[in-house]
Amino acid sequence: MEELEQWKEQLSHFYNLVMDRLREVPPDQLYAAAAIAIFTTLLLLSLRLFKRAKSNTVVLTGLSGSGKTVIFYQLRDGSTHQGTVTSMEPNEDTFILHSEKTGKGKIKPVHVVDVPGHSRLRPKLDEYLPQAAGIVFVVDALDFLPNCRSASEYLYDLLTKGSVVKKKIPVLILCNKTDKVTAHTKEFIRRQIEKEIDKLRASRSAISAADIANEFSLGIPGEPFSFTQCSNKVTTADASGLTGEISQLEEFIREHVKQ
Amino acid sequence: MLEQLLIFTRGGLILWTCKELGNALKGSPIDTLIRSCLLEERSGAASYHYDAPGASYTLKWTFRNELGIVFVAVYQRILHLLYVEDLLAKVKREFSLVYDPKRTAYPDFDETFRQLKMEALARAEDLKRSNLNPVAGNAKKQVQGHNKLGFEGGNKKSGSVAKSGGGADGDDANGWKMENGHAKGSFVAKDANLSSVVNGRENGSPNVGAFDVHKLQKLRAKGGGKKTDTVAKASKAEPNKKITKKNRVWDDAATKETKLDFTDNVGEDGDRNIDFVAADQGESMMDKEEIVSSESEEEEEQEDAGKNRKPHVKSKGWFSSMFQSIAGKANLEKSDLEPALIALKDRLMTKNVAEEIAEKLCESVAASLEGKKLASFTRVSSTVQAAMEEALLRILTPRRSIDILRDVHAAKEQRKPYVVVFVGVNGVGKSTNLAKVAYWLLQHNVSVMMAACDTFRSGAVEQLRTHARRLQIPIFEKGYEKDPAVVAKEAIQEASRNGSDVVLVDTAGRMQDNEPLMRALSKLIYLNNPDLVLFVGEALVGNDAVDQLSKFNQKLSDLSASANPRLIDGILLTKFDTIDDKVGAALSMVYISGAPVMFVGCGQSYTDLKKLNVKSIVKTLLK
Repeated sequence: MEELEQWKEQLSHFYNLVMDRLREVPPDQLYAAAAIAIFTTLLLLSLRLFKRAKSNTVVLTGLSGSGKTVIFYQLRDGSTHQGTVTSMEPNEDTFILHSEKTGKGKIKPVHVVDVPGHSRLRPKLDEYLPQAAGIVFVVDALDFLPNCRSASEYLYDLLTKGSVVKKKIPVLILCNKTDKVTAHTKEFIRRQIEKEIDKLRASRSAISAADIANEFSLGIPGEPFSFTQCSNKVTTADASGLTGEISQLEEFIREHVKQ
Repeated sequence: MLEQLLIFTRGGLILWTCKELGNALKGSPIDTLIRSCLLEERSGAASYHYDAPGASYTLKWTFRNELGIVFVAVYQRILHLLYVEDLLAKVKREFSLVYDPKRTAYPDFDETFRQLKMEALARAEDLKRSNLNPVAGNAKKQVQGHNKLGFEGGNKKSGSVAKSGGGADGDDANGWKMENGHAKGSFVAKDANLSSVVNGRENGSPNVGAFDVHKLQKLRAKGGGKKTDTVAKASKAEPNKKITKKNRVWDDAATKETKLDFTDNVGEDGDRNIDFVAADQGESMMDKEEIVSSESEEEEEQEDAGKNRKPHVKSKGWFSSMFQSIAGKANLEKSDLEPALIALKDRLMTKNVAEEIAEKLCESVAASLEGKKLASFTRVSSTVQAAMEEALLRILTPRRSIDILRDVHAAKEQRKPYVVVFVGVNGVGKSTNLAKVAYWLLQHNVSVMMAACDTFRSGAVEQLRTHARRLQIPIFEKGYEKDPAVVAKEAIQEASRNGSDVVLVDTAGRMQDNEPLMRALSKLIYLNNPDLVLFVGEALVGNDAVDQLSKFNQKLSDLSASANPRLIDGILLTKFDTIDDKVGAALSMVYISGAPVMFVGCGQSYTDLKKLNVKSIVKTLLK
């Protein structure tokens, strides 16, 4: 109890000292100091808000072998160089799209991340999703039917992740390898994936696995699933990585990465 | 002869390929290498063999971790080229000087590579020449004989090689041809190989002195070692099999006269004993959420143990490691990683990971960390720990979906029953866990049927019958001493007739070395082509897990009559409640077979079945 009294006395002593000093200082300086402090705080807060709203990251994902790394290099350099092999690590870079390099004016660079599609490296995707402004899900249109199930499962997992649903990140389903004659059309692919996801919804809601946590469920139960039922926008597009036909993809990027 | 040498980044972009060796590779060996070897944490292995229709290659690789580049050399499987490793090391060094992260094409490297290759060939040739001093040579790679005849023979082969370039290249090419021959240990073999392998090159006549038939045979035998083992075992097992198909006798017990088959008169007894039905014993643990405790354990106690063992190293090492951790040392060398890796390996082994697996894992982690830059304020041991954690997570994450219900629904649409076969050694808990899986499936409105294909063990059919009665599901049985493959086939037909969604097939336990039983199992799988081959293994097993799984897989692939043999698709880990934190068996099994752990049995009642929680296993392993 005595100690508390002592503390109180010391504090009041300090307080009096401080007040005396303050009174010595001319009031203008005081107001100026206070104003600067408030202004700086406001500035920092607003910068943080700004940064959060404007992300310029686009995430390229999809199954292994669908052509993500080829598309990444097409976006960046306009050519596929000498070919690619299965990626073991993500490729990320911030650059101006190759086709826009000749454009006029100040173009904001885009941060593109190419996440490996191999199932053992799937957890890497979760690192990049929070900062994504748009997700591109690359599908192999040539070899689609054998991989339809795994592609749909991956897409389903993606669309039910918390970060994707809450922030309503737009998803583009990019059908790659359309330069080949036997490639499927994007409408066909869209319908097939919708059907598969419909089936997946039924079986996934039956189990609540400890590992595979689907945080949200998709669509309206009772109705066949369609992408229009998702809260975030899902669109489809065609592309061909090898020949460089990526105009629809670039439109998507320009649309969702605000300048 | 080198088929191809590639340099690519870890992100997947090919930086350089050798344009001289323009042969296109058949199949996709590089992608397969990455998927089955480098991503499976087997990058510590020396080489990788790739077999595709029409080609078989051997691949060797090396990493440059701080730049994130991989160097891969591909050559024909039947050749044993000695200069490849040397060449890879030189190429690595030269390329790292030229490398620039911004550049994606390196056309000027062609010239450098050509020089390096010639140097490597010349060096290898010199090594051969200097090693050949005494005459008698062993059949191993380090030939201790100097064969002057061979060298003269090499020189005599003028202009027999159609390599690009003129006479200047001729000498090197001859030296190169001779070196290949020495690698095989016999000149005739070299010529035979080259004539079959090399395209469009004319060979001179084999003119060197005596070629050693024994050496040739020894080398052939060395290559086919695996096959001879199985052949020897088969011949050993053959005499055990009696001529007449009598009772299967395990050891030399006296054969009983009367046939002990109680299949007929069980009806009434069974009914009387089974009073209650296991309708609802509660939710199976498969469906419960797992609460992962987030305790961050310090490794201090393990560190102390390490310190006690190597006091002298540690006392100096601690100070320097502290200094390095603050300063951020330049590059990690193998010697820095050694103590941390040894400590980690011991820790894994105390958690019941098989010794071989722990070794390979540590090598793989070392290969991925060598040359990397240490971030400041981190110790070497924590970097190694983080890398190992990532590696373990990668291995234990399933490569394909383990969503059985989804597969069952898919099979249901095709109007076929989904067939699961439970295989394993004796006493691991196949029948018990089969019942647990049936209970879980029933809870999800899937109709199940059991097939009693364990026709050997006394009481096996009754055991399943009891389970079936309790769970109220149909069971297909044909009693004892019948052929399991035929019983399974009929069971599947019955299932498709009465509309069951899933058929669970129970088989007899068998040791992996028992040839006739493995053959019978292989026949069962081949005949019925199940959707899922589930290997049941107990968590108590130690180093034997590696042997069991690899032999099972090997026998299934060797003894199968089809071109595409079915291997083990999944693992069911049992008796998980009996081990406290010695969970290493899960890691050994997954690593050696590549199959994911689909279920974990953690008790003896119907609800004790759960999914493997990868994160908690990794945490327990590294605690």
